[in-house]
Amino acid sequence: MAETIPPWADEAAPVLKLEDLAVAYKVRGGEIEAVQNVSFEIKRGETHGIVGESGCGKSTVAWAVVNFLGNNGYVKRGSIKFQGRELVGVVGEELRQLRGDQIAMVYQDPMQALNPSMRLGDQMKEVLTVHRGISQREAETHCIEMLERVYMPDAANVMKRFPHQISGGQQQRVVIAMALLNNPALLIMDEPTTALDVTVEAAVLDLIAKLRREFDTAIMYITHNLGVVARVSSRVGVMYAGEMVERATVEAIYKNPRHPYTQGLIRCVPKLGADKAGSVLYPIRGRVPPPDSRPVGCVFGPRCDYFRDRCREERPDLRQVSPGSWVRCHFAEEIDPAQWTPSEDIIPPRISAAEVPAEPILQVRDLKKYYEVQGGSLKDMVGLGEKRYVKAVENANFDIPKGRTLGIVGESGCGKSTLVKTIIGLESSTSGEAEFLGLDITGDISSRSEQLIQELQMVFQNPDSTMNPSYTVGQQIGRPMQRFGTVPKGQIRDEVIKLLQAMRLGENYYDRLPRQLSGGEKQRVGIARALASHPDLVLCDEPVSALDVSVQAAILNLLLEIQQEYGTTMIFIAHDLSVVRFFSDYVGVMYLGQMMEIGPAEAIYSPPYHPYTEALLSAVPIPDPSVEQKHIRLAGAVPSAIAPPSGCRFHTRCPRRELMPDGGKLCETDVPPWLEIGEEHRIFCHLPLETLNSFEAVVTKPGEVTQHAS
Amino acid sequence: MLVKDFMTRHPVMVPPTTPAAEAQQVMRENKIRHLPVVGDGKRLEGLITRERLRVSPTDLGSLNVWEITRFLANMTVKDMMLKGKDVITTAPDVTLEDAAQIMAQKKIGCLVVLEQGVVVGIITETDMLVELNHMLGGDVSGVRVTIRVPDRIGEFAKVFGAISSRGWGIYASGSVPTPKHPGYWDVVVKVRGVPKDDLVAVLEKIEDHEIVDAREC
Repeated sequence: MAETIPPWADEAAPVLKLEDLAVAYKVRGGEIEAVQNVSFEIKRGETHGIVGESGCGKSTVAWAVVNFLGNNGYVKRGSIKFQGRELVGVVGEELRQLRGDQIAMVYQDPMQALNPSMRLGDQMKEVLTVHRGISQREAETHCIEMLERVYMPDAANVMKRFPHQISGGQQQRVVIAMALLNNPALLIMDEPTTALDVTVEAAVLDLIAKLRREFDTAIMYITHNLGVVARVSSRVGVMYAGEMVERATVEAIYKNPRHPYTQGLIRCVPKLGADKAGSVLYPIRGRVPPPDSRPVGCVFGPRCDYFRDRCREERPDLRQVSPGSWVRCHFAEEIDPAQWTPSEDIIPPRISAAEVPAEPILQVRDLKKYYEVQGGSLKDMVGLGEKRYVKAVENANFDIPKGRTLGIVGESGCGKSTLVKTIIGLESSTSGEAEFLGLDITGDISSRSEQLIQELQMVFQNPDSTMNPSYTVGQQIGRPMQRFGTVPKGQIRDEVIKLLQAMRLGENYYDRLPRQLSGGEKQRVGIARALASHPDLVLCDEPVSALDVSVQAAILNLLLEIQQEYGTTMIFIAHDLSVVRFFSDYVGVMYLGQMMEIGPAEAIYSPPYHPYTEALLSAVPIPDPSVEQKHIRLAGAVPSAIAPPSGCRFHTRCPRRELMPDGGKLCETDVPPWLEIGEEHRIFCHLPLETLNSFEAVVTKPGEVTQHAS
Repeated sequence: MLVKDFMTRHPVMVPPTTPAAEAQQVMRENKIRHLPVVGDGKRLEGLITRERLRVSPTDLGSLNVWEITRFLANMTVKDMMLKGKDVITTAPDVTLEDAAQIMAQKKIGCLVVLEQGVVVGIITETDMLVELNHMLGGDVSGVRVTIRVPDRIGEFAKVFGAISSRGWGIYASGSVPTPKHPGYWDVVVKVRGVPKDDLVAVLEKIEDHEIVDAREC
């Protein structure tokens, strides 16, 4: 899976060489060294990954290379050499030439890299006409060729469109094509797939690996996702608090991590391995120190399990511990990650599966949610046109027993959030039945009693935008208690503090404002607020996807703990299949508003799969280069929900359709039946059970026998 | 076997305003002997070679130490390079042998590879020699046999047929008209994992073929 280092890589001088780089930003009252002592090199045709949590200085390094540091940033020490030439201090015309001709960048959000008011073709051609002085017509053919090379369907047509008229994955392809137009020697990619869906991400990562071979381009790949790095890069540097703490080949990093931080990172990402034990998460305690208050000694010291006196006084150097492996730790040789035991405060709660089937708390039958779409014609304006609908949720059927968790996964736009919004009452349902504790919840919130509202609470994805910035934490958590009268007025403060303590936040957080909290802390407050009214059902809409991995693990463990303690039932939405597995008792897979497969979590992750689940599983980047994953890529984009494909909604992209007689004619015409696989596991597919059973497991570890579900 | 498959993509390049001293350092650091000089959009403007950077003592003869320093500091790549139109170039789709021929005829060490005036790569003597080495299987160990065959249709096939009929695979092969023996060709084959004597025994049986050389290497 990991890319091997090309044989000639050692002979040539590196394309990019950073030595002892320190970047500082001038701020009020002094300056902050955002990046210190970073050294690494990238050879031709090599992808060098840089991983780390947010605020570790990954992007600053990338900006320093192209001198995008802004007015207050500058390279304080060290050198950046591009093909043997010093880049620090290069300005003006020479810098412009380098950026345009030799070094290109691809950023996280393609929408921000593209000009929304210009046609894609014009934007792309500009690169050639300005930098190379090529004529318009020649530039046009060149651009189309390049779009075809990045597998853009219907390239000539795409040139005439505006950025908002193509999907996110396609936008990112345009940006990559644009970066490659001038055939750069160095390509810097800063989280290029983070904003994309997992299936699109997989396709873009394949593309990057292929282009690297074809164009012989050196790539600096920045990401926070250990799984993505394992898939694309040959060498990896791990950054922490502005320093590079470990640098090695990708195999060495995952097999034999030397630095305690790298070990911690690997322990706190859920792995989609063969067994569920592999998905137990151990968060790293504490958080990344801000640049102005880094410790004097080892920067990782305060969060390290192996902290000693020497670490407090002396900052370790990046030193070579074995060929090709560099570590910034005094005791790297003595630390054996196999001997590591979690300290008491981070032991994850045990997931005890209750034996007795509990009563269903929520029953959903044939629930539908359609949104009416306003057409643009005059007929539509006066209401005579045919009404069209976005079928956001189609015939959802499921039960959730009390105290259990249902995970819902799917690509963006598949209706996950709409389903949850309908249940909580932000939207009223179009038809179908939904009962919560015997009460009808098909209507929206205005038709619900206060008591019902109190029993259903929600945790949102982005804690920033869900909190009132001018209310203190105490007020925010106390408000639902006051509103619903669950706690007598005089005891609200005590109750809030109790909740804060359950969230591992101290009493001193009571009077803080949201802006004084970190992302993880805000999300804890968000969870506390959801729990304040003692709800029976908590709906979590991507509660951890905006958080760093080490914080993510802590929040997930916290949610599990709460569930155990309060017996709360949860619906947990996520796009990350590995997180859902770890967290849920049941998993539902949605595609284009339709539930495709639903069943106990374990059953979803091993055959028989629904073909869509199979494709999703094969797209998930796994942070372990030794794991083998089947290569299944979905063609095309998700069809429009206004006119979903007839028959099975997945038939236009289904890689398994050819297994059906007649090349899958039936899939086009007939809605598939629900296949009962057993023990509450259902698959929505025409393929007979024997065929589904014959699929091999998507994820296998070498040396393990592939298991077939009987 | 086209230039584009064997050239070095993204060669190290400098703009014409680079000081000569810096160009010299860039070449030393990258261990290269040829340095294309490019303007905006990687358009070729010239070429610097090691010889170009050699300053003749007669130029400096009349200068004192201080003047020498200033003389060198003011010298840019533009002053020393081989000018654009004199640089011999090639295209990505040219065959390797055509490129080699140009280099041999002009007695030059490198060809700059251009596509619509833009530098896309460089191919040097070293690249050619590396490919010659690969072509004859110099990078692996095995048995290397040189067979002298008459210049007739079907003689090569006899050699290859004899080897493959025994289930052996040919790792590399090459052939040239035998020097000073008109009417004959020398065929070199490299076979891995075969005892030398067995291979020779098989090849010796072919009529009119002479084994000129056989060795394990």
